[in-house]
Amino acid sequence: MSLDLIEPILFGLLALTIVGAGLGVVLADRITTSALLMAFTFLNMAGMFVLLGAETVAAFQILIYVGAITVLILYGVMFTPQAPRAYGLFFQKQTTVGAVVAALAALPVMVIAFAFRDTGSIPPRGGDLVPLASSIFTDFAFPFEVASVLLLAAMIGAIVLVKRE
Amino acid sequence: MTTLVPLGAFIALSAALFFIGVAGVLVRRNAIVILMCVELMLNATNLAFVAFSRRLGLIDERGSVFVVFVFVVAAAEVAVGLAIILAAYRNRPTVDVDEVREMKG
Repeated sequence: MSLDLIEPILFGLLALTIVGAGLGVVLADRITTSALLMAFTFLNMAGMFVLLGAETVAAFQILIYVGAITVLILYGVMFTPQAPRAYGLFFQKQTTVGAVVAALAALPVMVIAFAFRDTGSIPPRGGDLVPLASSIFTDFAFPFEVASVLLLAAMIGAIVLVKRE
Repeated sequence: MTTLVPLGAFIALSAALFFIGVAGVLVRRNAIVILMCVELMLNATNLAFVAFSRRLGLIDERGSVFVVFVFVVAAAEVAVGLAIILAAYRNRPTVDVDEVREMKG
């Protein structure tokens, strides 16, 4: 097999896994299963970023999403035990309406999404670390500092919210 | 010369994952699963950002910078969201969003 088709094949495999695991997050009856499938979705999304040539974003994705956020969510699952119940009770009363509305909204968006075309220019080689870093630390230096303040505020807020008297 | 995946395919996958997240937020009862679905939506937008940035970015990787900010906001959001859910759970041991109605007018 030639290497010409390796990128579409990888894209197809990753896309199938992402959509399947995403549906699993919504439909699974055990919350731990949902959380681990969410981590699996994020891991495959990191593969998608590598396929696009954005290796630095993929590394951030694995560190922050697969690492930090999944661990936080799993702690949340651990601290809020629930009694077992019937499968239908995992869903809201408006489940049918909600699913239909989401599907109806998704249809035109999917049609528009497939209409996007490449400009024909070849994507730049050599990874995205240097352009990303030079953008963040020059043009976006102030928003970057504001983001660190946001993280500090979120940390203090979370501590205050769950602190016992 | 390898065959490139068209940009539309990445955007369509991003839209599909986004609407899976939307459906999850609309139909699930558990607040933590709703939080997970919000994370799925944020991650789907990240894919659109990176795809546009890599394929249409004329100057440099401006789109990827916004992905970094989305990472920051997602981390802050999940930390504060879980803290709120835990505070509500301590008040009354349930994470069902239709059971938490203390602030209903």
